[in-house]
Amino acid sequence: MTRYVMVADLNRCVGCQTCTAACKHANATTPGVQWRRVLDIESGEYPDVRRTFVPVGCMHCSEPPCMEVCPSTATRQRDDGLVTIDYDLCIGCGYCMVACPYQARFKVTSIGKAYKNGHMSHEQSREHRERLNVAQKCTFCIDRIDAGLAAGLTPGEDVDATPACVNSCIADALTFGDIEDSDSHVSQLLREQRSFRMHEELGTEPGFYYLWEGAS
Amino acid sequence: MMGKAHKMHTVPTYCYQCVAGPDLMRVQVEDGVAVGVEGNFDAANCTPSAGKVCVKAFGLIQKIYNPNRVLTPMKRTNPNKGRDEDPGFVAITWDEALDEIASRLRTINEAGGVDESGYPRVAASFGGGGTPTYYMGTFPAFLSAIGPIDFSFGSGQGVKCYHSEHLYGEFWHRAFTVAPDTPNCDYILSFGFNVEASGGVCGVKRHADARARGIKRVQIEPHLSITGACSAEWVPIRPKTDAAFLYALIHVLLNERLDHLDLPFLKERTNSPYLIAPNGFYLRDSQSGKPLVYDLRSEQVVPHDTPNIDPALEGCFIASGIERGADDDHWTHQDIETSPALTRLIEHVATYTPQWAGEICDVKPEDIRRIAFEFLDHARIGETIDIDGRTMPYRPVAVVLGKTVNNGWGGYDCCWGRTLLSCLVGALEVPGGTLGTTVRLNRPANDRNLSVKPGPDGFMDYPMNPTDAENWVGNPAVRNANRTLVPLVSNSPWSVALGPTHLAWMQQHQPFDNWPKPTQPDLWFVYRTNPVVSFWDTNQITETVSRFPFTVCFAYTHDETNHMADILLPDRTDLEGLQLIRVGGTKFVEQFWDHQGFALRQPVVEAQGESKDMTWIATELARRSGVLEKYNNAINRGAAGVALKVNDHDFSLDAHEAHSVENIWDAVCRAASAEISDGQDKHGLDYYREHGYRFKPFPRIRWYLTAEMEDQGLRYELPYQERLLRIGTELGRRLHAQGISWWDAQLDEYEAFPSWKNFPGMWEEALAHHFNVDINDYPLWLVTTRSMQYSWGSNVAIQMIREVASNIKGHGGLVMNTSRARELGLKDGDRVSIRSPLAETHGLVITSQGMRPDTCLLVGQFDHWATPLARDFDMPSMNALVPMLLDLTDSSGSGADLARVAITRLENNR
Repeated sequence: MTRYVMVADLNRCVGCQTCTAACKHANATTPGVQWRRVLDIESGEYPDVRRTFVPVGCMHCSEPPCMEVCPSTATRQRDDGLVTIDYDLCIGCGYCMVACPYQARFKVTSIGKAYKNGHMSHEQSREHRERLNVAQKCTFCIDRIDAGLAAGLTPGEDVDATPACVNSCIADALTFGDIEDSDSHVSQLLREQRSFRMHEELGTEPGFYYLWEGAS
Repeated sequence: MMGKAHKMHTVPTYCYQCVAGPDLMRVQVEDGVAVGVEGNFDAANCTPSAGKVCVKAFGLIQKIYNPNRVLTPMKRTNPNKGRDEDPGFVAITWDEALDEIASRLRTINEAGGVDESGYPRVAASFGGGGTPTYYMGTFPAFLSAIGPIDFSFGSGQGVKCYHSEHLYGEFWHRAFTVAPDTPNCDYILSFGFNVEASGGVCGVKRHADARARGIKRVQIEPHLSITGACSAEWVPIRPKTDAAFLYALIHVLLNERLDHLDLPFLKERTNSPYLIAPNGFYLRDSQSGKPLVYDLRSEQVVPHDTPNIDPALEGCFIASGIERGADDDHWTHQDIETSPALTRLIEHVATYTPQWAGEICDVKPEDIRRIAFEFLDHARIGETIDIDGRTMPYRPVAVVLGKTVNNGWGGYDCCWGRTLLSCLVGALEVPGGTLGTTVRLNRPANDRNLSVKPGPDGFMDYPMNPTDAENWVGNPAVRNANRTLVPLVSNSPWSVALGPTHLAWMQQHQPFDNWPKPTQPDLWFVYRTNPVVSFWDTNQITETVSRFPFTVCFAYTHDETNHMADILLPDRTDLEGLQLIRVGGTKFVEQFWDHQGFALRQPVVEAQGESKDMTWIATELARRSGVLEKYNNAINRGAAGVALKVNDHDFSLDAHEAHSVENIWDAVCRAASAEISDGQDKHGLDYYREHGYRFKPFPRIRWYLTAEMEDQGLRYELPYQERLLRIGTELGRRLHAQGISWWDAQLDEYEAFPSWKNFPGMWEEALAHHFNVDINDYPLWLVTTRSMQYSWGSNVAIQMIREVASNIKGHGGLVMNTSRARELGLKDGDRVSIRSPLAETHGLVITSQGMRPDTCLLVGQFDHWATPLARDFDMPSMNALVPMLLDLTDSSGSGADLARVAITRLENNR
């Protein structure tokens, strides 16, 4: 079996948003929609303060609450763990957006433009009208994974089979791969370092792990 | 979702939007439209960035297609200039625009190029720490062809740069910029150096790798910056007191751990053993004139370079010799008491205890002492490492300084303290230690090791501007008088831009006594910069620029500076132009590579509108101005980055013809190939278009200047500053002879050992004095910090950058300490007045626990009122609030990004 997961090393992440920007390029998301982004979180009180940068997005949960509430079966889960949305089936009810504890889903009702006074060539050439009025979210760059696999490549190792955010990360904070493969980079990291998953108490079994020295 | 098949390819190019570049990348082009950016992973193993680019590069796609671009040449129709005047720009042809400029240049040339004050009639301003050079094609060749140019009018230099570091760094260890040897370092003291925001891909990656292997970095800074967040410890220091902290560290090491320091390094590689004579200059051998040391082996006073000696670092000795002061001052001494520089240093820092510094810095004295010991403990004194087959000292500790720490008053002190700390543990320019990464004032620029030449008294030579009566440049050749006032700034092509650039602006309002009349330039070129937003006292800059008679701006969009322009020229953007540049070796910030070579920037798609390549514009201006031959000859000599005559190969251009952009860069590419292959290859433009770059190895031993210093038997000119004491004295005499006393405060900084001055108090006193205010009415310090997403990028008009940058705290307003805000009755989102003694701006409150209660913060440089998109940000900037004052100008000619402000809530939040 294969189970693709993302690992974010909070000791490495600097919150630069390069992954956010790379995702926007790779997936041509509309202005204001960020399938991948990095939170800037402050904790403690002066002068004992911590500031932490936390990449977030769809966690591709093993028990995805978004799928449970989807009335049209648009949200599904592949055998490799990726949670998908069939835009043709989605009715845009938004239940999944409410159910997702990670605020990872978006819905837009019109083609967005970066500038009010013009529709840029690259925006026009990469309009995704199929995403209008339906739920959308991070796909783990599913097209790259599938195309890479078809070409005999390994997701998480070969650039052409790996999510754009991971390829772009200038701090090497993001790692992708098959957690069921004990030799994969993600397995190795999770074996050697402490980690946690966000809102683990909700039983969602997220496919997104955070390396953090403070994790239990 | 099956659609038509798309034709996709990628184009290799580079990003050099910030000084921490270049980074190589590929641009995805689909059906002739640029749609995405990705790293150039072909170069993953030969670039320190692993072939990746940072967030700024991803903004370049929108930069091409931004509907707000200026896409035709334009001219002003409203003769009145000012913020409130509509320029009335109308489209004109390239012929009209270029002929108008060329006509004026011909007139200027006929008038001799300089005006009645001796200043160049043509001025030019560029932004971004030299990065515009990597986008302006052959424009430098054009500038060199048309005669004297005044680069005096800064767009941020001096107050927005690491100014003291640039000058003193180059003087002491060929370090225009300073960095830790991060790949080998274990412990870093960072005084406000925000490398995670300013170090580029290379810096971010290297420090992430270092954290993963357990490096400890202590961030000493008034607010919890990005780098503070990524550090092991944050020490919230009071603004502008860093020098006291550094002095206390030196005090602890010298008073409590002297025997544990790297004594061999101090004896052999510094001036610590040099004997100091009564007037503060070296005691010298009466025959040879060489500085003397006391040899513990022979128990005699001998010249410093006597073989097989063990020079004393401590003690008091009876000695005879001569002493040379400023100009012809000369003393002969017989059997006087004298002691080594290090002994004098120990006495000098005797009162700089942690207790003393703790009160000044608002830091616990025990923390300062602990940090001093941690620094020493991590230095591994005595250990060695093999680099390229050579055994080198291994000292994995470093000290780095950020902006506001290393410019303005206190900048010299901090740079001295930083460099001295490294010397005390032998960690200067050795593996693991504190390194310089490039030269801009010394020559040659391509390898700082090659600039190391023997100079006076056992030190490196330095191209100091003369201060002796015969050779001092008493009549400034440019408006900021860089060579006249600042001996350290040297005389390289960068030196004017590193002079006291605000002096050029200040004089436009208030002439200085006994000084040439402050004329305006007849013609001012502006490229990739926006000084009306980016300088200090921006309201005054706005007014000054509006009075300049003829301004030519290369324009991406309408902006605050080109609002006052007479001609707008639409040059091609980063992904539309053609240029080959040198990469690798050791460059700015942490860009020291294991390779060196060349990289190409090339058009990835057809250029938009009528925008033109900078090389085409330069060639056309040269042709129409009648300087084509000079222009081509400048290119042949190397003005495009490579001399076109290489060894036995000659790719020179016919000097009498106007060449196409492609032909010019093809010749440059061929010369570059010949150079890098030792004449084996002559690959032209087509090769670089396909591959993007060409490298050869760069030896890692070249990262460490100490290897070269050892080979030449030279010493670092530390801790004692005899040469600075001398030139300062001489400079004072020259200025006073001309009746100039307005630079006296700056002259006081030429000390053999810098001594603590109340640096925060200097700001308070200057503001209170000049604006006749009670400084207590302005209770908060205002500081700034780098935005990685925006800095240097000329990308404030890019929506995607705005969108993603908004995820980072501070990009939406004024950051204040949460408790302090509450005391003032303020909460998040409140709209406030931010008022300094000079001016006022407005913004929204963002509360943060990661901020000293006596300090507040504004990120980056905003306050735009003309630039499309940015004018709607509602982002305040400190730039309008910081006055240009001589009282706040140090001897290097720099100030600091620092203000005192009052924060008050605006009624109805409006």
